[in-house]
Amino acid sequence: MVPATGLCEGCMRTIDEIVAWGRADDDYKRAVWAEIRRREARMFE
Amino acid sequence: MLLPASMRVFERGWLSANNILFIGGDDTTLVDTGYVTHAPQTLALVEHALQGRALERIVNTHLHSDHCGGNAALRHALGSRIAIPVFEADKVRVWDEDALSYRATGQQCPRFTFDETIAPGDFLTMGDLSWQALAAPGHDPHALLFWCAQQGILIAGDALWQNGFGVIFPELAGEPGFGEVRATLDLIASLEPRLVVPGHGAPFTDVDAALQRAYSRLDYLSFDPVRNAENSVKVLLKFLLIERRTMPLAEVENLFETVPLLVLARERFLPRSPAELARWTVQALEKAGAASLREDMLTDSS
Repeated sequence: MVPATGLCEGCMRTIDEIVAWGRADDDYKRAVWAEIRRREARMFE
Repeated sequence: MLLPASMRVFERGWLSANNILFIGGDDTTLVDTGYVTHAPQTLALVEHALQGRALERIVNTHLHSDHCGGNAALRHALGSRIAIPVFEADKVRVWDEDALSYRATGQQCPRFTFDETIAPGDFLTMGDLSWQALAAPGHDPHALLFWCAQQGILIAGDALWQNGFGVIFPELAGEPGFGEVRATLDLIASLEPRLVVPGHGAPFTDVDAALQRAYSRLDYLSFDPVRNAENSVKVLLKFLLIERRTMPLAEVENLFETVPLLVLARERFLPRSPAELARWTVQALEKAGAASLREDMLTDSS
């Protein structure tokens, strides 16, 4: 995890999102994926 | 929802096997603990999900480094008991790195101790559910499945994934593995699971299709042991590349001269020089989109 962002260095999910992932439906996962793309865009701005 | 309320699956990248956390009324158990470099994150995930409850027990499907690499750290932080497959007990007691797979694969795993052993046929309560341990030789001679008949859920470790299964390591050392993989797939088919939680990747319900893919993969690999050896060296290099992210080509060549299983695969099945085999394996990973080579630096890609 990256302390400054609270995100996993590899998958850019939060601890909350990783814990929820295994029980989550596809809508939740798609929403997290969209958020991951936004995080990536911010990171490489 | 497919999973019982008492069961959570932490799915991450390929380096760490899935962790399955059971939170029952009277028990808390974690099945497998991931790779050592992810141990702080594994601990954070488990503590977050347990919300102050203790983690009473850690159980391992088998003792490869990506399944038990967090055992030591979690036990240290949480005081959990550790239960391992019974036929691994002597090796773990004296921490025999040669008999355990860590030296042979060039992978890391911190030493841990254990409190209990699990034999095929034993029943365990996890998440208020009854699970039976079943022998699953093939990928690892002493691996276990955990089967919950009441829910129709199978924890498969690396015996069955949605697309394939773990490397058949015993065959590299000249020990039987193909027949064992087939028998384990037959066993899984006979259980008719509703849901499989694999050691890597998402839980899945299309079990028949996964079994068919696994059988045809087994047919392909066992047709010629050279294919199994080629697959093994690709997977072993990819694992080390995920762990290190990037390495010089010279280091790849060095691995083929020093990592015992890579040396063994080369000497027994793939007769060519370490540099040639390194080059072949790198090209195979590039072709699969699993790595990229630029200016003699090999970098992981997924």
